[in-house]
Amino acid sequence: MDFSVINDNIEFLMLGLMRSFQLAFFTIILSLIIACFIAIGRVSSRRSIRYPSAIFVNLLRSNPLILIVFWFFFLVPLITGKTLPEFHTVLIAFVVFFAAYFAEIVRSGIQSVGSSQVKAALSTGLTYSQSMRLIVLPQALRNMLPALVTECVIVFQGTTIAYVIGMREFLHSTSLVAERTVRPVELYLFAAFVYLVICFAGTRLALFLEKK
Amino acid sequence: MNYEFDWPLLLEEPNWGWVIEGVANTIQLSLMAWGFALVLGVLIGAIRMSKSRLLRFIGTTYVEIFRNIPLLVQLFLWFFVFPLLLPDDLMRAWNRLDGVPFFTALIGLSLFTAARIAEQIRSGISSIPKGQFLAAYSTGLTEVQTFRHVIIPYAFRVMIPAIASEFLTIFKNSALTLTIGVAEVTGAAKTIEAYTFRGIEAYSAASLTYMLTTASVVIFMGWLEHALRIPGLIGKR
Amino acid sequence: MTLPLVQINNLSLRYGDFVALDDVSIDFMPGTCVVICGPSGSGKSSLLRCVNRLENFDKGDVIFDGQSLKAAQNISKIRSNIGMVFQHFELYPHLSVMNNITLAPRYVNGVNRDEAEAKAHKLLERVGILDQAKKYPNELSGGQQQRAAIARALALEPKLMLFDEPTSALDPEMISEVLQVMRDLARNGMTMLVVTHEMGFARDVADEVVFMDKGKVIERNESGGFFDNPQSDRAKEFIDRVLQKI
Repeated sequence: MDFSVINDNIEFLMLGLMRSFQLAFFTIILSLIIACFIAIGRVSSRRSIRYPSAIFVNLLRSNPLILIVFWFFFLVPLITGKTLPEFHTVLIAFVVFFAAYFAEIVRSGIQSVGSSQVKAALSTGLTYSQSMRLIVLPQALRNMLPALVTECVIVFQGTTIAYVIGMREFLHSTSLVAERTVRPVELYLFAAFVYLVICFAGTRLALFLEKK
Repeated sequence: MNYEFDWPLLLEEPNWGWVIEGVANTIQLSLMAWGFALVLGVLIGAIRMSKSRLLRFIGTTYVEIFRNIPLLVQLFLWFFVFPLLLPDDLMRAWNRLDGVPFFTALIGLSLFTAARIAEQIRSGISSIPKGQFLAAYSTGLTEVQTFRHVIIPYAFRVMIPAIASEFLTIFKNSALTLTIGVAEVTGAAKTIEAYTFRGIEAYSAASLTYMLTTASVVIFMGWLEHALRIPGLIGKR
Repeated sequence: MTLPLVQINNLSLRYGDFVALDDVSIDFMPGTCVVICGPSGSGKSSLLRCVNRLENFDKGDVIFDGQSLKAAQNISKIRSNIGMVFQHFELYPHLSVMNNITLAPRYVNGVNRDEAEAKAHKLLERVGILDQAKKYPNELSGGQQQRAAIARALALEPKLMLFDEPTSALDPEMISEVLQVMRDLARNGMTMLVVTHEMGFARDVADEVVFMDKGKVIERNESGGFFDNPQSDRAKEFIDRVLQKI
């Protein structure tokens, strides 16, 4: 084995890694925002809101991410009438897919705070929105933080799927160098190691937050 | 948007054959990998709770490595790297083997999922009150008997939903094996789309497969949980 | 001269920096009922768990019925001669009351099923819940669960019964039914070590009271003497406090 091949191509590989981080970052931010609305929809007392939210979540959660990516690559040009850059198309697919997962985390976070907390807050004279903002949400956030961090790790792992449609994220860059240099052993081991270090840090953080 | 649907297209050959082969491969691969992962996962889960520090370390290392490397990278490692690390004659034998992609996918999916199941076994067992162990030991049951008669039967019921959802995870994850050439259902849909440009029909067939399976597993598990429920336990503790 | 059933010699136990038991030596004679009391954290429950080695003690030894627990190879065999009752019952939720009771006799002592069930039948009758035999623990009231747990402990025909705050988790109206079962046991000559805050039980049923604080045995007296004429200030203070609470 000769790991100097990594060193020779480090710039190209790191460019790919940056792309992976970008995709994960925007996916997490955008899907989390959408997820909050869907989560509130899931606990709504109105059926006309609750049912569509539930269908959205269950539809996406029962399909593999890679199939969702294929769907969007077919549908986005069909609907918009033009071809978007692949990063944008992948991002849309990721945001829609992970919004469903984040929504379930946010929902269970909200539901983990008992209704007696709301009653107690109301009994001290706070308004409903005050008790939500000051009492329920801070507790919900703390309860769901470990699960959120774990899901962020899963998003980062999921960015490898962009390889399939040829986006130049880290795994794809790795495979390109592997083919060009005919050094697959070194390159894939290196990629595995990089993913391992990053995701291990993430899961440790989740564990730490859980124990706190 | 202007798109003309052509649903009967799915029933024409070779499309129909691809769909059927894809569904069959997806189900076969997921079921087999789930079985292996369950056995290995229980084993590693047990190792992680053993008294030996070395065994615990091995178990923890396994779990951390296999759950933190993305599945797709693991599949590539098994497909591209693993054969190259074999001695020459073994590598030749491996390459001559029929269905290398399927075997590779089976190994990759099983080992990845075993790490997740091991975690669930551990958290399932640590959710059991410590007093249950003390009570069993106080009546003279040995450690093995305690696990066999008290802890595992109870933990198993607690873990049914998690183990079922692992099956659904493996089922969806099996789609990734199209990258190493397994003709599973998402890959079949992609192939049909590539040949006919009928993406909606093709991907609907794949989505339907996943959704129907998910729905049947959820319904079956609901029934199983009901059948194995412990009287009086619901809504308590 | 009769020998003590339990002999505790220079027993010490720590949890990290916390000293749970500090060089405790005490023994208990067969056929007596002894109440162990003291403030929380005094080490009374730890002491109880050392008597069947559910805690691995650091120093000292426990001799049960002539056998050293420290040296014991087959601790399971010794444990089967010591029944234990827990604060939170710890019945096995996935087994019926009947199976909770017959599990240990069948698998520890190798008794066949019919025999174990016949025996369980008698025990359930004795604790007054024969009609609950087929039910599952969580379908029972707290008092019934604790009586089932006592029956489970008795099923191995133990020489000694350990009670670890058996009534602390019970609603007030269920305490007396459990105490009644314990009173009958004591009257029939069972050797019992009872950690409890039930001072009425200590005064009326127990032969002796042991008072512990900070991991040490402070005082030991026959039960009448302990309440009427406590020797140490700490015991005096403790009695005043618990009696006031009632």
